[in-house]
Amino acid sequence: MTTFDRRRFLALGAGAASGLWLAGCSSGTRSPSAAVGSPTPAAGGAPSSSAPGTGAAAASGKAGSAKAPAGKATRRLVLIELDGGNDGMSTLIPHGLAGYGDLRKRTRVADDQLLKMTDQLALHKNLKGLKDKGLAVILGVGSSKPDGSHFEMMARWWRGDVDGTADLATGFLGRLCDQLADPAARIVGLSFGAGNHPALQAAKASTLAIPGADSAGYLAGADPGDKARRAFQDAVTQMAAAPRPDAFGDARRGTRDAVGVAKMLQALDEEKTPAEYPGSRLGQSLRLTARLFAADPLVRVVHVPMGADFDTHQDHPGRHPGLLTELNDAVVAFLNDLDHRGLGDQVLVSTTSEFGRTAHDNGSNGLDHGTASVALLAGPVKAGVYGEHPSLTQLDEDRQLVATIGFDHYYATLAESWFGIPASEVLPGKAQSIAGIV
Amino acid sequence: MDETRARIAHLLRRTGFGPHPGQVDALAGAGVNAALEAVLAAPPLRPDPAELGTKDDYAQLVRWWLNVMGRPDAGLHEKMVWFWHGHLTSSIDKASPLAMWRQHQLLRTHALGNFRTLMQQITTDAAMLGWLDGDGSVAEAPNENYSREMMELFTLGHDAGYTEADVRAGAIALAGWHVDDKTTKVVFSAEEGPTGPVTYLGASVREAGQVVDAAVDHEACAPFVAAKLYRYFHGVAPDAPTLGALATRFRASNLEIAPLVAAILRDPAFFDHRNNRARYPVEWFAAANAVLGTDGKDSDVLEQLGQEPFSPPNVAGWPAGPRWQSASAALARAKYAWDAADDSEVVSTSDPVGTILAKASIYEPSDETVAALRQAVGAVEGRRDRASVLHALVVTSPEFCVA
Repeated sequence: MTTFDRRRFLALGAGAASGLWLAGCSSGTRSPSAAVGSPTPAAGGAPSSSAPGTGAAAASGKAGSAKAPAGKATRRLVLIELDGGNDGMSTLIPHGLAGYGDLRKRTRVADDQLLKMTDQLALHKNLKGLKDKGLAVILGVGSSKPDGSHFEMMARWWRGDVDGTADLATGFLGRLCDQLADPAARIVGLSFGAGNHPALQAAKASTLAIPGADSAGYLAGADPGDKARRAFQDAVTQMAAAPRPDAFGDARRGTRDAVGVAKMLQALDEEKTPAEYPGSRLGQSLRLTARLFAADPLVRVVHVPMGADFDTHQDHPGRHPGLLTELNDAVVAFLNDLDHRGLGDQVLVSTTSEFGRTAHDNGSNGLDHGTASVALLAGPVKAGVYGEHPSLTQLDEDRQLVATIGFDHYYATLAESWFGIPASEVLPGKAQSIAGIV
Repeated sequence: MDETRARIAHLLRRTGFGPHPGQVDALAGAGVNAALEAVLAAPPLRPDPAELGTKDDYAQLVRWWLNVMGRPDAGLHEKMVWFWHGHLTSSIDKASPLAMWRQHQLLRTHALGNFRTLMQQITTDAAMLGWLDGDGSVAEAPNENYSREMMELFTLGHDAGYTEADVRAGAIALAGWHVDDKTTKVVFSAEEGPTGPVTYLGASVREAGQVVDAAVDHEACAPFVAAKLYRYFHGVAPDAPTLGALATRFRASNLEIAPLVAAILRDPAFFDHRNNRARYPVEWFAAANAVLGTDGKDSDVLEQLGQEPFSPPNVAGWPAGPRWQSASAALARAKYAWDAADDSEVVSTSDPVGTILAKASIYEPSDETVAALRQAVGAVEGRRDRASVLHALVVTSPEFCVA
């Protein structure tokens, strides 16, 4: 699978590296340098719900590095989807675990690319910016019934259906939005992209797909003197007004949503000194997210498909580090922008990916579809490594990593620890949040 | 008579990229069945080839195909080329414009031909080898990408009974192929190919052709392909007896595509399945240009709508379903319609609303749409402004955004 946008801008690196770096400008903001330093082992690991006990790394949290989060009623979540299947073992490298070098003959991450997290685990150095801001890494996230299909696993992640057995008509983020919806909210959840996203499918909350800011003027805010444009906008609104669920119901609702989002985008103030972001799709999406968060406190959940290509079947070493840079630079710019706006304590940034990649590399210097991977959390989190790394010597019958925790536990952490929503309200089964991260 | 016109408009929306203004009227006299038979009998277009070798070959390719789709005589064959491009995907992201062009010719050649032949050829097609990493895969440590997606997405479907062992065995037997990037020439290296037979889907195979044969001969293949084609034309999945009959027919014809497509379109439910899916962006783009009288050279709107030719979002192509009726899409359509609707096409003053609806082949408008168009007529002064607003409105109407 390939998902990156042909036209995405590749302005990586320079723009983000020189982005705003303003520490201490809002209450609760810690100095970036406080997050640097050797990790201190601490309690706070994952509940060992499905841990086989054969993995190696123990949990370690870094006491004292967490930014105090804002009150629960003002918290927001940004979920970045690393579509294609991100290799956990090249993101947080288990260089000290037995078996690593045997599995990764062609795709081993070199020692000079490592940022030490524990004795056995190191972050890829292209994530240094995120590490400095304070990054929580959860190990071995996956399913006890993994599937090799992108589309099966993406659908499970979108629905919040860890084993593919639940009957769910809505998406996990959509159910969060149903819980978080304020009656006055115009829009609770947003996804960046062309189409309505299954992850945000809600039972009652208003969630929608959002384009860039430049097309808003066509559906809202015509100058009263411009009769033709005003007539066009009035008539478009009128054609879409009927709430009948007939054949044209979806089309009408899409237009009604568009008018709503156009009004919202039109209301954004012109920025005198816009924050610097990379030109990547992710960077530009996060830039607009920060502006929307600042303008509307009732927007609570934002889903950003990264639109990069993590599906590294070939030339993994040549491609994956750049993907990490793209992620790092955009999210660091976003966190800095939020701090500058005084919103840094309100926003949790999380990542998902449908699966990790094969434990063994293939002859194309690549990695095929795998199982467990890592999940990343940034923002007001307690930095460190959580949970247990899958064993590199005891693989499953398909020679794949065995997940040490179901992704529903990760989702439960987002729901319970971050939003204070009981996991049972938004997830099937009995998922428990991972203690100590937020 | 409006029922006849509505049916013919449905037929032309689903089997082509129109209707263009006037086409429904031209077919209405002879009736719906005659129109259907004319659609089935229409010959493929044979457009002059694209001119490659310029600075921006990708843009050239996109313009070329959109121009072909925008022709009034682009019909069922062209719609099948688009189907196969969204089914047997490849993308410019991992293949050169030349390779994409050659693959496109392959799809044109076999769009209504034989599915086995099509699968055999696409499996060792340069663009496909690049896109799904067959290029350079060695049997000793094979790349699994094509092997998996070929079963999951091209021939059998997820959960069709194949195993991870089949994925690996297929990958071994498919190994050994290389693409020369400059010429897009495909060569096989026996040294990097399989050293002996492997068991794949219960058969013993040792080369790519046998892998394809085993997949297309698998019991899940005919119903999988028939169901996807049925949904493409009908907008909904077939019921079990219909699908069973279609799959049997497909197998009995040795996987010939044309008779399967004819059976799907002659299914009596076809004309009941009106207005049950979104009009996909390329369909909307071509039809809107026909109504607006625009040349379609500015296709940026297709990027905003999420459907650019030669650049599918992933290996599964463009998904079906209501996601296309999003706020993003409505904004992008409104922008395009407003900017493209110049005022040169003046609408009649006696019945401007009726004129514009007929031009857009909308024969069953909702009351709200008619009322909104009438109100716009009253609110805008001047014939030219009125014409341009009506044109922009009719192609953004709910009726025009559904197929």
